[in-house]
Amino acid sequence: MVAATQATANAAATAPPAVAVRDLTIVYKTPAGELPAVSNVDLYLPAGTITGLVGESGSGKSTLALALLNAVQKPGRIATGSIDVEGLGNLVELPAKRLQEARGGEIGYVFQAAQNSLNPLKTVGKQLLDLGRSHGVKDRAGLVRSARQLLARMGMDAARVLDSYQHELSGGMRQRVGIMFALVLNAHVLVLDEPTTALDMISQANVLSIVRAVHAERGLTTLVVTHDIGVVAEVAEHIAVMYGGVLVEQGPTEDVLRAPKHPYTRALINAIPRVSGDPSVARPLPGRPPTLETIPKRGCVFRERCAVYAERNLPECVTEQPPMLPVADGPGRLVACHAVGTKESVR
Amino acid sequence: MTDPDSSGAAIEARGIVKSFRARGDVLAGHTVHALRGVDFSIPAGGAASFIGESGCGKTTLGRILAGLESFDSGSLSLGGVPLAELSPRKRSPHFRRVQMIHQDPYSALNPTRTVDAILRDPLALRARQTGRPRAWIDARAREVLDLVGLDPGYVLPRFPHQLSGGMRQRVVIARALTVDPAALVADEAVSMIDVSLRLGILNLLRELRSTLGVSVLFITHDVATARYIGADGELYVIYRGQIIEHGPTETVVADPVHPYTQCLLSAIPVLHGIEQPGADRLTPTEPLDESQPEDGCLFAARCPFATEKCRAERPELGHLGDTVQEHACFYPQRRSVVATPVAGS
Repeated sequence: MVAATQATANAAATAPPAVAVRDLTIVYKTPAGELPAVSNVDLYLPAGTITGLVGESGSGKSTLALALLNAVQKPGRIATGSIDVEGLGNLVELPAKRLQEARGGEIGYVFQAAQNSLNPLKTVGKQLLDLGRSHGVKDRAGLVRSARQLLARMGMDAARVLDSYQHELSGGMRQRVGIMFALVLNAHVLVLDEPTTALDMISQANVLSIVRAVHAERGLTTLVVTHDIGVVAEVAEHIAVMYGGVLVEQGPTEDVLRAPKHPYTRALINAIPRVSGDPSVARPLPGRPPTLETIPKRGCVFRERCAVYAERNLPECVTEQPPMLPVADGPGRLVACHAVGTKESVR
Repeated sequence: MTDPDSSGAAIEARGIVKSFRARGDVLAGHTVHALRGVDFSIPAGGAASFIGESGCGKTTLGRILAGLESFDSGSLSLGGVPLAELSPRKRSPHFRRVQMIHQDPYSALNPTRTVDAILRDPLALRARQTGRPRAWIDARAREVLDLVGLDPGYVLPRFPHQLSGGMRQRVVIARALTVDPAALVADEAVSMIDVSLRLGILNLLRELRSTLGVSVLFITHDVATARYIGADGELYVIYRGQIIEHGPTETVVADPVHPYTQCLLSAIPVLHGIEQPGADRLTPTEPLDESQPEDGCLFAARCPFATEKCRAERPELGHLGDTVQEHACFYPQRRSVVATPVAGS
């Protein structure tokens, strides 16, 4: 209840919590039965770091992000696995009341297209008071004070923004308002789903530099979910690459970009139009990302588009989804590919 | 070149001016100058890219070119035909030869119709006009799908929701090709496409330029994609309705001299690990605000290098300082703001 007033004072003092996702499977009910959108995912967010989760449409990245609020909507459900947030416990087993407090409380979430997730009929200030009410904040003046501080920190005219309706704000401003809502109750875990989609380059750069600064100043553990490797490269020290509902590669961002191990990561980096260098080296990826219905039931999910499989035809690619294993190329690097040499002994 | 069906139609625009009366609280009653005298031209099979932030006027320009928006003054000619002098009825067949590719392929296609039906309508109209047989419609539908790299047998019977975003955008392009366009206006045409498929669409637009001689006007805030479509074309940087830098794409991207262009290029994410940021990378400027002063240089309020002169006088587009490209800055200065590939990667 007093959380709001202490928000900025306490932020730096409290250590950010680590988040551990273990063996998480999320299924959606479809006419063809329950199909997994996220399959056996292990993802660790070290305390105080920014992790970037990259994937294309249908990769399951947004579903995974929603699971960090235990807010997967029907017809979806968490089938197996746990999501442990330090100091809060396993979200999957948290009582409903505690979970509701944690959403928007300990865990701040900036929704995809925050531009459209604000209520068009209420001013930002009114929505702020709604948020306070739903979380039992008694000190409304303190809540408004925290919101003003956050907005001012993000370079906005706080009084004007609180009095504005969403249509009076630009895309970049709405995105910052979304970040304010996520943090105003003193969250220590921040999840941003596609924070820069639909923003132009300069607004994107502004939002990313704000994410970086706020993350450091307030001592957060942050997950940025995006389809844009460039966004991850700019803000995140760790990258996790997702495809067809599974994580295929993880590691320190610079190392992964420099020497990607998984054929998908490699192909994705090669497919990015760049501003410098020889444009003719870029190659589009053949085929298309799988949907819930077309994710292969057996074998590696990337097999159909994989250049390595096309060349080497490894039988295990057809029969078994490769497990995520450490590779010898440096600390913290994990790859799920039958064709990549792994440090089996480490397992 | 007066026949709208003749090929080789170049686009020539001179001094296009367009303003809107603004609504809303902040700007109510003000006039927003969407375009303040824009000149550009695209040769047949050529490409021009317009880059700039949201609200800089680039979308208005595309809509004017496609005949979806009028303009206040200036001249626009397609294939040598000056359109401003024609009556609206005589104008429309010319504008039909400019087709728009929108950002969102999900809303650009009717969800209740199959691809076959989507392509059949414009083709049937065309067959009626030119007295072609029904068989031509079928053959042509398959032909345009082949051109955009889709398998007609797979795509024709399907509804848009059964296709991926990349395939849908290809259908949109195929539909545009049914009227044998002279030019395509692609407004953020790949920004909603999955990253792994984006390059395929860009390559397709590039191929259509050379195989069909279609001119492409590419409108985007993403400089890297502009570079792919039009590496051999012209790049225009537009700010608050004024072109502030223009030249061959590679020159402007590699060697920008206007601080606004430099800000745009600085804002492109650096792929740390395989790229290193430019030594003079500028920090992002404050957001665009239409209420910023218009007396001098339009960018002065946000420019880190602005002087008194900049705030009092508006620089014209020219080659001040003997630059290869045209620019509108009193103090053209090369700065290395673009990321460069790390050696060995």
